[in-house]
Amino acid sequence: MNRRIIVPSVATFLVLTLLVLTLGPHKMRRVQSGFLGMISPFLKTGSSLDKKYREFRDGLKKLDELEAENAQLKVANKELSTTNQTLRGYEVDNQQLRKALQYRERAIFTLKPARIIARDASTWYNKIVIDRGFADGLDKNGDQPVLTETGLVGKTTVVDEHAATVVLIADETCKVAANVEGTREQGILRGERVSNGAVPSIGLHFLSKQAGLKPGQNVLTSGTGGVFPPGVLIGQVKEFKARELDGHATIIPAVDFTKLEDVFVVIGKKP
Amino acid sequence: MRFFGILLVAMFFALIGEHFIAPLAPYGVRVLLMPMIMFYGALALPLPGMLALAFCGGLMWDALSTNMEIVWSAEQMKVADINVEVALGWSIVVFALLSGFMSGFRPLFQRGRWEVHCLLSGVCTAIIVLAEYLMLTFRREPVLLFFDHEVWWRIGGAGLAAALLAPGIYFLFNYVAFFVGYDPQPARGPVRTR
Repeated sequence: MNRRIIVPSVATFLVLTLLVLTLGPHKMRRVQSGFLGMISPFLKTGSSLDKKYREFRDGLKKLDELEAENAQLKVANKELSTTNQTLRGYEVDNQQLRKALQYRERAIFTLKPARIIARDASTWYNKIVIDRGFADGLDKNGDQPVLTETGLVGKTTVVDEHAATVVLIADETCKVAANVEGTREQGILRGERVSNGAVPSIGLHFLSKQAGLKPGQNVLTSGTGGVFPPGVLIGQVKEFKARELDGHATIIPAVDFTKLEDVFVVIGKKP
Repeated sequence: MRFFGILLVAMFFALIGEHFIAPLAPYGVRVLLMPMIMFYGALALPLPGMLALAFCGGLMWDALSTNMEIVWSAEQMKVADINVEVALGWSIVVFALLSGFMSGFRPLFQRGRWEVHCLLSGVCTAIIVLAEYLMLTFRREPVLLFFDHEVWWRIGGAGLAAALLAPGIYFLFNYVAFFVGYDPQPARGPVRTR
């Protein structure tokens, strides 16, 4: 190949690469969001095909089994609706009483249900992609908590119109202020850089050396930092080690990330 | 040009397909299809095509994986700053260097040999995973450069999976090239010209 082709190709490549490397964080975010928007329809299609395949593989349930399950779900749905109504009433009472006592009003959150359409394919990150975006009420800037009925899942990062990336609490970059139930211990929860996908180990750092946590104690969000609402279950203590300067606990997450299918995004005002 | 377009589209769909391949137990080894197609492109296409594939591949790769952390202002809960872990575009550099290395073996590939290239695809895929690990390690606090067996398995396992799958990928794209009228191995001899 002659120089007439090589030199312009290399020069164009270098210029374009430099342009990309010098992009500011906001423009980078726009590129990421745009690309997520581009691939999300394919991810959604792939996800539904994958689901259909698994359903087919697992075999179809018998009609009477489905009827029984449907009846159970209807009862559960009624129970939950009633409980929800009662709790809403308590919430209003609580806000009024807090106001009367001149406490700071707690933000009221709403939960937006979302379906997981893909799991991150990279080696060193723990992320998922959900089928909700800013068109569904999610914040364009991300950083909104994501949870399930069993506990905390993570927070949103890149948000597109109809899809969003969620970084899991098992990832090292997702830091959560947490406290241990029944104690005054507070710490920062952070995933490990390399943790097995099946049972990720999460560390609770900066505890006091004398914390003496017992296995099985619940770890909850403390609400400090402004991203996660307080009181959401994160997991249980597996073991506690007193180190030279502080205490460190290993936490087993309450949520099984390998079986996650549906999640809720907490939308509304920040706490 | 048509074959370049096919490879680019294949890379895009391979990147999507990777999301539906579960990590291999017990160490969470990932099967990375997209880099393999890119490395095939580095062997099958001339330099401009190789660079264009490396650029597009690196950009897509980073667009999916680059991590950013939002810093909120304390008073009004507004975005004060965005901390970028590894800037968008570093994968383009890594991909271009590795594709350039693979391209060095193009004359041998053009003569119809691809055994060494399959092994090199595996090695280069492992280097991508290693480079990713090193980049994020040096960006994160604390800088902990540890290489326990799980890290080695994830790096080496990705390379091993790529090396095992590479013959299939090469075989498939050689046929695709044949059907679109492009000959990636013009010096192969009588087998191709028959």
